[in-house]
Amino acid sequence: MSLVEIRGLSKKFGNNVVLDGVDLDIEKGEVVAVIGPSGTGKSTLLRCLNLLERPEAGTVKFGDKTYSLTSRNKKENLALRQHTEMVFQQFNLFKNRDALSNVMEGLTVVKKLSKEEAREKALEELRKVGMEDRLYHYPQHLSGGQQQRVAIARALALEPELLLMDEPTSALDPELVNEVLLTIRKVASEGNTILLVTHEMSFVKQVANRIIFLENGKVVADGTPKQIFENPESERLQIFLQNINMLESSDNYVI
Amino acid sequence: MAKLFDGALVIKQLPKLLKYLPTTLYLTLFAMIIGLVVGLLIAVIRIAKVPVLSQLSVAFVSVIRGTPIIVQLYITYFGIPIALKYINYYHGTSYDVNNIPGIVFAMLALGLNQAAFDSETFRSAILSVDKGQIEAARSMGMSGGQVLRRVILPQAATVALLPFGNSVINLLKGTSLAFTCSVVEITAAAKIMAGKSYRYFEAYCSIAIIYWVITFILERVLAGLERKISIPAQPKEVES
Repeated sequence: MSLVEIRGLSKKFGNNVVLDGVDLDIEKGEVVAVIGPSGTGKSTLLRCLNLLERPEAGTVKFGDKTYSLTSRNKKENLALRQHTEMVFQQFNLFKNRDALSNVMEGLTVVKKLSKEEAREKALEELRKVGMEDRLYHYPQHLSGGQQQRVAIARALALEPELLLMDEPTSALDPELVNEVLLTIRKVASEGNTILLVTHEMSFVKQVANRIIFLENGKVVADGTPKQIFENPESERLQIFLQNINMLESSDNYVI
Repeated sequence: MAKLFDGALVIKQLPKLLKYLPTTLYLTLFAMIIGLVVGLLIAVIRIAKVPVLSQLSVAFVSVIRGTPIIVQLYITYFGIPIALKYINYYHGTSYDVNNIPGIVFAMLALGLNQAAFDSETFRSAILSVDKGQIEAARSMGMSGGQVLRRVILPQAATVALLPFGNSVINLLKGTSLAFTCSVVEITAAAKIMAGKSYRYFEAYCSIAIIYWVITFILERVLAGLERKISIPAQPKEVES
C-alpha cells in the first residue's frame, strides 16, 4: 500500500483546466519531483493537497484514511492538513517571530506540545538545518537562504508524512541556492517523503528518485531520473527537456 | 487698569479642575474600549463579508462618519429617552431614563463614533498582513480562529498602533463635548467656574494645560508600546 494515494484531482481556474483528473501514488521515503512547463499546475497540485486551493474533485488517502478534497467539513480539513507540511517559494516565515518561535509555533498551537517540549524539538530541527546559531534572529535579520532553512525546519518539526516543497529555491539569489539544496538533500536522505516542484534540473537528477512530468493538467511521464532524462518517451517531454538543455545527447540540440 | 490676564489664577484653579479629570479619563477609557471592540468586530465582519452584518456595518460607518460628533451626542441624549418611552409604552415595561447617568450616553456616543473611525484603521491594518504567512499558518493546520489570533492580529496591531494612538488622543479632547449630555468633565467644570468669576480666558488656559499634559503622557505610553512590539534592529545572539 502506498503512503499517499491521490485520485481524480481536478482543478479549474475559471475556464482554465489546471489539473485534469490527476492520479498519483507516492511511496514512503520517495522523493518525487514534479517538472513541467509553467502554468501546468505543478504548484496547484501541491496547494490542493493541503487545501490552500479548493479543487473541483479529488480524494487523497493517507494510510487507511481517505479524505475528500472537496469536503467543507472543518475538522476533516484540519486533519488532512496535518498529514502534510508546505515549504513555500517565498518562505512565509512569521515576520513578528524569531527563528525559534517560528518553529515552535506549530508545535505549541497545533500539536499542543508544552513550551519545553516544543523548544527541545525546535532546537533539534534548527540544528539539523544548521541554524542553531541564529535562534533569536527575526526573518528580517536573515538572508533568503537562511529563512528558507528555518522554514524547512518549521515544516519538519511537525513531522509531516508528506513534505510539500513549492519551488523552494526560486526566490533566492543564485549564491544562496546551494545552501538550501544541500539542506533539502539532507532532509531527503533522512527518509522523509517529499513532493517537490522545482526548476533545478541538475538538482532533481541528484536528489529525486522519481520524476513526474506534468503538462496541461495531466501526468504525461512518470519515471526515474534515468528514464526521464536519458530516455524520454513522450515527445512533449523531449521538447521540454531540449528547451531547458537537459537532454543528455548533444545530437538533440537544435540551434 | 484692572488686571487683564490673571496668570496666577491659571495655576491656582488647576487643583479644582483636576477634581473633574477622572470623569474625562473614564469617558476616554470606556469610549476607547467600545471603539476597540466594536471597531474590530466591524473590521472583521467587513473583511469576512458576512452577509447582512457587512452591509449594516458599511451603513453605520457611513452615517457616523458623515455626521458631526456633537450632533451624535445630542441624538443619543434625546433619542434614547424617547426610545425608552416607546419601549415602555409598547411592552409595558417601566425603564426610567433618569436612572441612567448622562455619562453613559456620552460614553456610548463617543464610543460608537470611535468604532466607526477605528474600524477603518483596523481593516486596513488587517488587510496589510502578508497573505503568504496566513497560508503558512493554515497549511500547518491552524484553525481560522488560531490564524486570526496568532498571526493576523499581532501583526495588524503593529500597523494599527500609530493611527489608533492618534484616534485615542482625538477622543481625549473630544470628551470636552460631553457637556451636551450634561456631564461635567474638565471643560464643563472650567466653564462653570468661569461663569462665576468671569475669568473665561484663564479657565480655558488651565484646561489647555491639563489636556496637553495628559496627551503628552499618552504619547509617551504609545512610544513605549511601539518600542515594545517592534522587532529589534539587532538580533540577539545565541549564548554559547
